[in-house]
Amino acid sequence: MSASEKVRIGAIGRIAIIVGKELTDIVRDRRTMLITLLMAMAAGPIFLALILNMAANQAERARELRLPVDGAGNAPALIAFLERQQVAIVTAPPDYEARIRRGDLDVVLAIDADFEQSVAAGKPATVRLVYDRSRDRARAAIDSAEALLRAYNRQWGTQRLLLRGIAPQVASPLDVQGVDLATPQQSGALILFLVAYYGLFASLMGSIAVALDATAGERERGSLEPLLATPLSTLQLAVGKWLAIGAFDLLVVLLTLAGFYLTLNFAPLPAIGVPFLFGSAELVRFVAILLPLVMLLPAVLLYVGLRGRTLKEAQSNVSALVFVVSIVPVVQLFLQKKEPAWLLWVPVSSQYTLLTRALRGDVIAMADWLQSAALPLLLTAAALTAAARLLRREDVFAGR
Amino acid sequence: MIVVDGLVKTFGKRGEIRAVDGATFSADDAAITGLLGPNGAGKTTLLRMLATLIPPDAGFASIDGLDIVRERDGVRGRIGVLSDARGLYARLTARENVRYYGRLHGLGGTALEARIDALLGQLGLAALADRRTQGFSQGEKMKVAIARALVHDPATIMLDEPTSGLDVMSIRGLREQLFALRAAGKCILLSTHVMQEVALLCDRIVILGHGRVQAAGTGAELLTRTGEASLEDAFVRLLGSAEGLAA
Repeated sequence: MSASEKVRIGAIGRIAIIVGKELTDIVRDRRTMLITLLMAMAAGPIFLALILNMAANQAERARELRLPVDGAGNAPALIAFLERQQVAIVTAPPDYEARIRRGDLDVVLAIDADFEQSVAAGKPATVRLVYDRSRDRARAAIDSAEALLRAYNRQWGTQRLLLRGIAPQVASPLDVQGVDLATPQQSGALILFLVAYYGLFASLMGSIAVALDATAGERERGSLEPLLATPLSTLQLAVGKWLAIGAFDLLVVLLTLAGFYLTLNFAPLPAIGVPFLFGSAELVRFVAILLPLVMLLPAVLLYVGLRGRTLKEAQSNVSALVFVVSIVPVVQLFLQKKEPAWLLWVPVSSQYTLLTRALRGDVIAMADWLQSAALPLLLTAAALTAAARLLRREDVFAGR
Repeated sequence: MIVVDGLVKTFGKRGEIRAVDGATFSADDAAITGLLGPNGAGKTTLLRMLATLIPPDAGFASIDGLDIVRERDGVRGRIGVLSDARGLYARLTARENVRYYGRLHGLGGTALEARIDALLGQLGLAALADRRTQGFSQGEKMKVAIARALVHDPATIMLDEPTSGLDVMSIRGLREQLFALRAAGKCILLSTHVMQEVALLCDRIVILGHGRVQAAGTGAELLTRTGEASLEDAFVRLLGSAEGLAA
């Protein structure tokens, strides 16, 4: 064969050849690929099902209120109203105050003996709701008992006004509407956290196995030395491998998010109010938010992997990275303070913050996204350059 | 044609380890040149410099007139390297392993496929061409590595300890290959620490010790220079000891 049959190929052409070979290598590793992809697809729905079930049980308990009443016979109309609202009325034990203090009872409704007389005299009739508000567990029962009594009060008052020919609105100049700005510490936030966390985690887990195989694995097999004697720069090799790993990582992230999307939108979930939306708009936002990480993490893994003489060594190096990525959102969840503004610069942390914002239905400002992407993009370039430099080292490429 | 002139490579923080210490020799086209030396003589380091994998600290070397430092890419296009490490991609077939290197050298299409078929055929690997290299024997893996090194039809071929880890049949096969390549006019440089290998295979012998060339010439020349009756005795005399060599 003469030299004239060779065509001159540029950097892009060589990188494309490397990407093609690396992707073939990834796809051929059936077991690793299937495990990674199946985990990505299944984990989201499984976790969601568990959490939603738990939440549904709690909601069920709140709805099925058992209300011990002291003096039920004093206000038969009120009791009838409560029973119509699916409240199970039971007779309160005589020592109910002590029991509430001990935490055996959540809430007790005590109706005064002169209830009927007060009503007849046109005076406000007294009912007492006895509880211990310091008990978290009791809060749902207290809140619903209060709401029911308020509703009864309103209904009764409205009827009186109507009887006197007055529009009920006259008596309620204030229209109070609850706007729940639930922060992650509050109810339902666990699901919110989980979806954001899992999306984040997928961008790391998706690339570990393939990145290490393409780096430490290649060192271990001793295929780097002859490869680097071909007309190929180490930067081209690093970029080619990074693109292949990144493409696979993106696939894992997309599958994970698709799992959440399909579960939340089409699965027969227990009927509870999920405190956020995860529709196609959120799906797109999620992918956009995670994109900087899908670039950064494979680049970092490439560098860390190349530092390992063997697959095993590289795996233990990577566990530090896994620890950091998995702990950051948890720390943020438990730091119940408002996040400082600089946090949006920090990789992983900024992505987590934006993900939770997207879940709450906020539109992500371009400026915020750019801020969250700035450092990951710089670090990606740095990691790729460092990886290329490592590949030039004799002890790295000649490892056997 | 390989020309090496005063090549130096040092390691260590202050360059205290002089792995290659002013090596000077040349290797002709249509000839097999053997680089003989005990383990640690600097053979692998020398070959890595010639393969443009590591830069020399001093000295000069060229391949077909191309400087190994300044015309690195040109050199890489003209050399085929069977390095110390010769791992294959286990999940790729023999053909795919060879094709990857061919494409990186700018080959493609039917010309490349024909070339791969011809190479694998010559090496007796035609039946295994489309099997993954996972379960290949040492000899079969070596043949794939050779095909990979030769896919772009390089004018210069460098082999680092090519027979290590091979069985007798594979060594014989390799020898035939090298003779065929020499007949095709290639410049072949191989390193070894096995004395019999150079005696059987090489047209010229370069004896390397402590990073320097101790002697160079044909087998007959080395015999007359040392006054020894056998090549093995000549090598031992030129190197000062037989340590690190194998018969």
